[in-house]
Amino acid sequence: MNILRSQICSVLRRPLYRQLTTTARPFVPPAQLVFHDNLYVPGAKELDDSTVEALVGETNEQEPEGDEEDPDDDRDKPHPDSPNFYTGRPSYYDNIIELQNAISRTRGTLQRLHLLPLPEFARKSLQPMPTVWKTPEEMTTDFETNMTISRYRRVTTLLNELNEYLRIATTAGYADVADRIGSIISIFESGKKEAFLSRGIRKPVLLDQHGRSYTFGKRKTSAARVWMIPVKSSTHETISDVNVEEVFGLSNEPKRSPVNVTVSTILVNNIPIAEYFPQPVDRERIVRPLKIAGVLGKYNVFTLVRGGGTTGQSGAIAHGIAKGIFAHEPETGVVLKRAKLLRRDPRMVERKKTGLAKARKRYTWVKR
Amino acid sequence: MYFLRPRPSNPVWSSLKSQKFSKNWCRQLSQVQGPLETEDDWTDFQQTRTSLKTLTDAMSQYGSEQTSQWSLRDSLHRPAKDATLSALLASGAHFGHAASRMNPNFLPYAYGTRAGITLIDLDHTLPLLRRAAKVVRAVAANDGQIVFIGTRPDIRPVVQRAAQRLGSQGFHVGDRWLPGTLTNKWQMFGHETVRSKRIIPDLVILLNPIQNMNAIQECALSNVPTIAIVDSNVDPRIVMYPIPANDESPRTAEIITGVLSIAGREGIAIREAELQRMRLAVDTAWEDFHKMHELQGERPTEDGRPRDLNAVGFDY
Repeated sequence: MNILRSQICSVLRRPLYRQLTTTARPFVPPAQLVFHDNLYVPGAKELDDSTVEALVGETNEQEPEGDEEDPDDDRDKPHPDSPNFYTGRPSYYDNIIELQNAISRTRGTLQRLHLLPLPEFARKSLQPMPTVWKTPEEMTTDFETNMTISRYRRVTTLLNELNEYLRIATTAGYADVADRIGSIISIFESGKKEAFLSRGIRKPVLLDQHGRSYTFGKRKTSAARVWMIPVKSSTHETISDVNVEEVFGLSNEPKRSPVNVTVSTILVNNIPIAEYFPQPVDRERIVRPLKIAGVLGKYNVFTLVRGGGTTGQSGAIAHGIAKGIFAHEPETGVVLKRAKLLRRDPRMVERKKTGLAKARKRYTWVKR
Repeated sequence: MYFLRPRPSNPVWSSLKSQKFSKNWCRQLSQVQGPLETEDDWTDFQQTRTSLKTLTDAMSQYGSEQTSQWSLRDSLHRPAKDATLSALLASGAHFGHAASRMNPNFLPYAYGTRAGITLIDLDHTLPLLRRAAKVVRAVAANDGQIVFIGTRPDIRPVVQRAAQRLGSQGFHVGDRWLPGTLTNKWQMFGHETVRSKRIIPDLVILLNPIQNMNAIQECALSNVPTIAIVDSNVDPRIVMYPIPANDESPRTAEIITGVLSIAGREGIAIREAELQRMRLAVDTAWEDFHKMHELQGERPTEDGRPRDLNAVGFDY
């Protein structure tokens, strides 16, 4: 150290370095004051290697090259990028902090716009915005850390809060705020969002060029293909429609407009329904959806049914007819859903089990 | 909330008359409306709320002068540069843990016992805090990496803000400190990162040392100086610069971390100013050099030979 001190003193006499060394040296703990071949002067980094060697000379031996950790070697290297470097999961915590900042910024903006806090009546009128976030596996690749349930939940809680603010901003009509939130949220949204949100939603049945609907019904082991077409109603008046007293102006009752009742046909496997289903309970089952929807004589029905017995086939046809009515008149959906006619009845014949006589029937219990 | 009847003679009120101050305005604000359907409904809803704010803003000129802009979150976002005894007392920094749990090595910093808990002597806390602040300032002024460790959810934002104040030199750990971060760095961060970046920090500040004994041990093994808030059940000798205070109070953590991080920010500013001065000095020195060189070239020589400008050594 004395050698280095004397070297420094000789340097100090040169005019160029006088200004560099007239700085107040701050207190540094002794452990930090390690003298190696790098000259320890405040601002020594500004001196290039050639100047340092000229000052110090080749007094110290060369540093051994290898993989040993040398604390002073580190001082030339740059700082790590992320402030979360020492957590071991920098990108995960960086994203968490980004989301938290976005939430607080958006909250402030919405408060200034008087959209927060939102009263209950306003919250009910927000447009629904269902979202599908990335799966934990997808986030694992994004964040370079294993997404456990707790970590995933932490991220999705923040994302759901941001989504709420997005709902408020879009419903209130602030497109720029909504765009900014949307750009952040889109990073975390799953690519399969459309597929996921449309799952379980039935494809709408389209009518062909003749106005027919083609639907499918199932019950037990029967399957029915159902075509329905509206009956073309004729507007001619029949004799039974005319009231003689009214025509001569003799009755006091108000003139009632005649109700046009059309006659429809139901064919099953090209056989009229009365012939195919001799039992009235099967015919009732088939006609029930038409009755509930109030379109009893409105549609002609042609069905091809296969498999099962009378109950299964009539149930399948009823299912198909209900779907057909919904295709022609979507307003009847509520009524048919309440009557559970649009639902494929999941009840199937239960299998026989070993040790039992039938599916549920047990053999007679014997005491001994 | 009361409703003032507008007086047309008053200039303030006459300007406000143009807005929607109907008789049912009060009722509008307090009443529960039906669901808002169109965008216009939303605009009306916002306007009703804005009208109240406009009223209060207009009336504020008639009220008292609000000199203090104090906000509830100021201790986190705008901490004080120096800690005062009254601030530490108000935050409950003097409350230690149960007297039965007091570590015997903590005795120099204990004021006494009351209601079964050890009281911490804040007359010792303040100079030790100032000493720690000097350390932080010096380390930051020498381009040192400082890590703030606070692993409880209530002090997580405190360490985050503190690291932000130090810019590229500040780091924080808000969740669990992974054992082996310093001692097993090759496996933790990978060969590429260890060779290219500075891994071992230059200072570590702990807000809850009991829960982070792993970190303290690793710092000791890696020769990293440590500062920590030590409570009465902790041996103060586990860290280099203990600050005896209540480790369970988030307000105390905010005050102490604020002081330390502001000192670090000052250190960075000192370093920047120094570098700026040195750059300026070197630039002016080079300018002088070039000027002298030019002047040398213009002066005539004694024996009439052309002057060699590349020769070092000035005769002035």
